[in-house]
Amino acid sequence: MTSWLHPALFFFLGSLLLPFFQGKARKIILLLIPVLAIIAVAAAEQGIYGQYRFLGIDGVFGRVDKLSLIFAWVFTIMAFLGALYALHREESGHHIAGFLYVGSSLGAIFAGDYFTLFIFWEIMAFSSVFLIWYRRTKKSLDAGFRYLLFHVFGGLLFFTGMMLTYFKTGSMAFESIAPANAGLAEYLILWGFALNAAVLPLHAWLPDAYPEATVEGAVFLCAFTTKTAVYVLARGFAGFEVLAIMGTAMTVFGVCYAVIENDIRRVLAYHIVSQVGYMVAGIGIGTHLALNGAAAHAFAHILYKALLFMGAGAVLYMTGTAKLTQLGGLYKTMPLTMIFYIVGAVSIAGFPLFSGFVSKSMIVASAHQEGRLWLMNLLNLAGIGTFLSVGLKVTYFAFFGKGEPVTAKEPPKNMLWAMGITSLMCLVIGVYPDVLSVLLPFASDYRPYNLHHLSEALQLLSFTGLVFFLLLPKLSPEEKINLDVDYLYRKAVWYFLRFDEKVIAVFDNLWGELYRTLGLRALFKSADLSYGFDRKAIDGVVDGSAVATVDLGSTVRRMQTGRIQTYIALSMIIVFVVVMLFAVL
Amino acid sequence: MKLAEWIGTLRENLKTLKIVMIVYLAVLVLFDVLLSRDDAHFLIDKIYAYWAIFGTIGCFVLIKFSKGIAHMFLSKDEDYYD
Repeated sequence: MTSWLHPALFFFLGSLLLPFFQGKARKIILLLIPVLAIIAVAAAEQGIYGQYRFLGIDGVFGRVDKLSLIFAWVFTIMAFLGALYALHREESGHHIAGFLYVGSSLGAIFAGDYFTLFIFWEIMAFSSVFLIWYRRTKKSLDAGFRYLLFHVFGGLLFFTGMMLTYFKTGSMAFESIAPANAGLAEYLILWGFALNAAVLPLHAWLPDAYPEATVEGAVFLCAFTTKTAVYVLARGFAGFEVLAIMGTAMTVFGVCYAVIENDIRRVLAYHIVSQVGYMVAGIGIGTHLALNGAAAHAFAHILYKALLFMGAGAVLYMTGTAKLTQLGGLYKTMPLTMIFYIVGAVSIAGFPLFSGFVSKSMIVASAHQEGRLWLMNLLNLAGIGTFLSVGLKVTYFAFFGKGEPVTAKEPPKNMLWAMGITSLMCLVIGVYPDVLSVLLPFASDYRPYNLHHLSEALQLLSFTGLVFFLLLPKLSPEEKINLDVDYLYRKAVWYFLRFDEKVIAVFDNLWGELYRTLGLRALFKSADLSYGFDRKAIDGVVDGSAVATVDLGSTVRRMQTGRIQTYIALSMIIVFVVVMLFAVL
Repeated sequence: MKLAEWIGTLRENLKTLKIVMIVYLAVLVLFDVLLSRDDAHFLIDKIYAYWAIFGTIGCFVLIKFSKGIAHMFLSKDEDYYD
């Protein structure tokens, strides 16, 4: 067995080093660590590394194969670009959170078992939330907490599924699951993963949290969480019909919201939902071409979506707002930012010569090949919406528009460089698709550049442009926000609280009174009885059980202390026992 | 910067730009009509300029639908949650 250096190691070590360095030295570390990680990925040979045994579980830190490598490539490249973009940032805490986030994502994609995956999965959630909190506004604080709660919930789904699987099979191995064999445990894991991929209806955390993140943090966020989820879905759940349907629904859902949103970063956040929908749909279709497409699209998407977030971030950083209603005419003052943003926009829209054309078409073509014309048409409808909102609407209203040009200038050099390099990569992938196809998990002879596909893409995009200019007045952004599923836990919960105050609390008081007068008396009585029984009947016979009964008595007494943590602990134990019983049976 | 000037020139000659664009769209449709349809599997592969029609109608519907639903009940003031 050859040795293997886990690329995540560099990021974890780097995050330990960062607090001790300032200024130039820190900048060098920030750029050097991702470069070392890229080299480690380049040097990695396929195989199984880092097996360990812990708590009776066989764990694997490093499952290196083509599927994990393509994600490792783009993650490490993205870490470099993100670090470059964030280079000017002073707080080392922000950089540390970024590195921990990247490191744990890499840990997750190389994990060969559920247990290892779960550990990294949770580190991801808890490190990434700081990229939101560092914005230091009330809004971002609240959004961060909601983000965290949501991911803890997803983690619980995953954890429950993982434990059920373990009790059923005695193994934690994370392997591909056949749709026919999937039961409750597998579906719990599926939905735990799907939550991180922002699959409907568990998507609301994404457009809620990402637009509130820091300018630099959003660039990291848009790359890792959802794509790690795409990886684990591709690894475990290829060919699940529910994913094909939900993925396609996501693509259309995302663009519908993107058409009506006002904040550029919210538009982009809904486009993550939409674009990840393509990947999820590809995974659901499950053929080799579709899975290749999902992996390729994840690769291309990370780059162009980061580029778009960089552009939007640069606008926000320099003008203080990302709202389309307050922007306009930036082509005069931020031309470079505009060019880079447009490169990202045409890449996501899938223009020929740009990366989206190569990767998105694989998924659409696989739907066509399988004869799933509904999916194909809906995916192309989402493609229209993508160009309409990211390509035309945002570009027009932010960089052109009728209003007076907003006073601004180009962002700092490191931001421009990061955008420039990312733009170049989008172009290279679009012009030489082979650089991407050598990394794909399955051998493929798919050629994106054929006349039919060119004709299809150009017709779709050009006629979208036509309708855009015809309906331009209809599309002007409005200073509004739009309700989404997060309404349920942001607003409806207050109605519930009021209901609680008026109805449940009254009932609760009544019940509490009843309990105090009847329940407690009965409890004391029974305790007395058992104590008496104990002293008279058993004590003389078996000493040990007497001790146990006294213990029980004190346990019962402890139950009555009214301390909240006792009740929580008790209810958790009950849940645990129920799960255990369920699993054993 | 040069780019801003070019864009300025384009904005002043919107009429010419429009004509160029319409010609471009016509060429696209013509190109699709001339493509071979020998290996067409499905009906949509055989229809001439299918994706042009789809793009036009789809884009129209998407805008109308999204904006309509937003105005009906999704849109709220920005301080709605505060």
